[in-house]
Amino acid sequence: MSRDSNYDHHITIFSPQGRLYQIEYAFKAAASSGLTSVAVRGRDSAVAVTQKKVPDRLIDPTSVTNIFKVTDEIGCLTTGITPDARAAVQRLRYEAHEYKYKYGYNIPVGVLSQRLADISQVYTQQASLRALACVVLLIAVDEEKGPQVFKVDPAGHYFPYLAASSGAKEQEALNWFEKKVGTFAELDENETIRCAIQCLQSVTDFRGNEIEVGIVTGKEGKFRTLAEEEIEGHITAINDMDL
Amino acid sequence: MGDSAYSFSLTTFSRTGKLLQIEYALNAVQQGKTSLGICASNGVVIATEKKLPTVLIDSKDVSKISLVTPSSGFVYSGLGPDYRVLVRKARKKAQSYFNIYQEIQPVGPLVRDVAGVMQEFTQSGGVRPFGVSLLVAGFDDQGPQLFQVDPSGAYFGWKASAIGKNSLNAKSFLEKRYSEDIELDDAIHTALLTMKDGFEGEMNEFNVELGVVSEDRRFRILTPAEIRDYLDEAL
Repeated sequence: MSRDSNYDHHITIFSPQGRLYQIEYAFKAAASSGLTSVAVRGRDSAVAVTQKKVPDRLIDPTSVTNIFKVTDEIGCLTTGITPDARAAVQRLRYEAHEYKYKYGYNIPVGVLSQRLADISQVYTQQASLRALACVVLLIAVDEEKGPQVFKVDPAGHYFPYLAASSGAKEQEALNWFEKKVGTFAELDENETIRCAIQCLQSVTDFRGNEIEVGIVTGKEGKFRTLAEEEIEGHITAINDMDL
Repeated sequence: MGDSAYSFSLTTFSRTGKLLQIEYALNAVQQGKTSLGICASNGVVIATEKKLPTVLIDSKDVSKISLVTPSSGFVYSGLGPDYRVLVRKARKKAQSYFNIYQEIQPVGPLVRDVAGVMQEFTQSGGVRPFGVSLLVAGFDDQGPQLFQVDPSGAYFGWKASAIGKNSLNAKSFLEKRYSEDIELDDAIHTALLTMKDGFEGEMNEFNVELGVVSEDRRFRILTPAEIRDYLDEAL
């Protein structure tokens, strides 16, 4: 069956050049939602910001979200096809709580990221399951390492980032961050939030209630999402800064 | 592996008797970043390019070279996620060996186990071969050894070898400089010079990784400061 190398577009087997087309297509599917997300690691906080588009005015806006709490300490931001994203979040929650049950302490976010990445790798090697079409950004403040931002993609890659982006304007956001890479380590909580929002503002357009913000601050910090008024407050502060 | 819905192998013989999926996997390896290894008379060194896609990645926590037993380590060229799976499996197999025999698994048997896993994925149902070649460096009672394992599961012992994008040039570079009685420090310098030869852009202690095992039988990954010292001596 794999004699017909046309199947390399249908399942995850190698193409003649050694590429995995299904994985490349999964990346495209993950970017197809049209939304962009960013995450930044400051001095003692990790912040994730994503666009929020409610597709229909009749939909209850509180049910539309791409930011999820995985454990009290770890939050995640998904970019891609919503059902796949929800499946990934369910798995993350299961893995994190299974770890706590087995080992008696909270799973470090790096270990959880690697677990999700290893699961994603299995989908790239088994023909019977397709890759999940979503990129996951995990944020937490680790006991030993401080604030952490991890990105896990459909190919099974995962890396710790100083600042990360995913989605439609991923490259533009990355370029914006790269210019400021030396400044992140000194940002306090508010500055980190504003940095992330500014990045998103410069690569996309949105009004106050069209973004979601998730944050963890401090070693004892819990993951929380900001309310609309808090987000408006930050956007106002940013506008005041520019003037 | 047996629980996938495909009960037939995806790697099947072509009319000319070739296993095309394995050949394609080798192409995936050829496109990967260069890695190399040199087996000296008193130790082994393995090296790889560590070029991350953006400066925003926190590179100090990212490592391509992995310790598998206290006396041996792996490096790869090809698909990173596939490599992680192999490292995990190899570590578990080495730990089972230790559990039974109460001694560190020697390099030969370790390589045989990893190669066996890679071969299984070329024959089992519903899976594709691993898209990595491994260089395994270790020191045991047989002395220092360097092995290369390919996606097919074939493995050979090498005096010096290179895999990935620049492997052909690197191998001819190594052929000229290798001698049977080369010592580890010299081998490290030669490894760095070989890496530099095919490196795009400036090579420094942050975008190259080195793993070393010597007569003390402790495999370690060198710190950037140590690499800096070797670079200053070599160049």
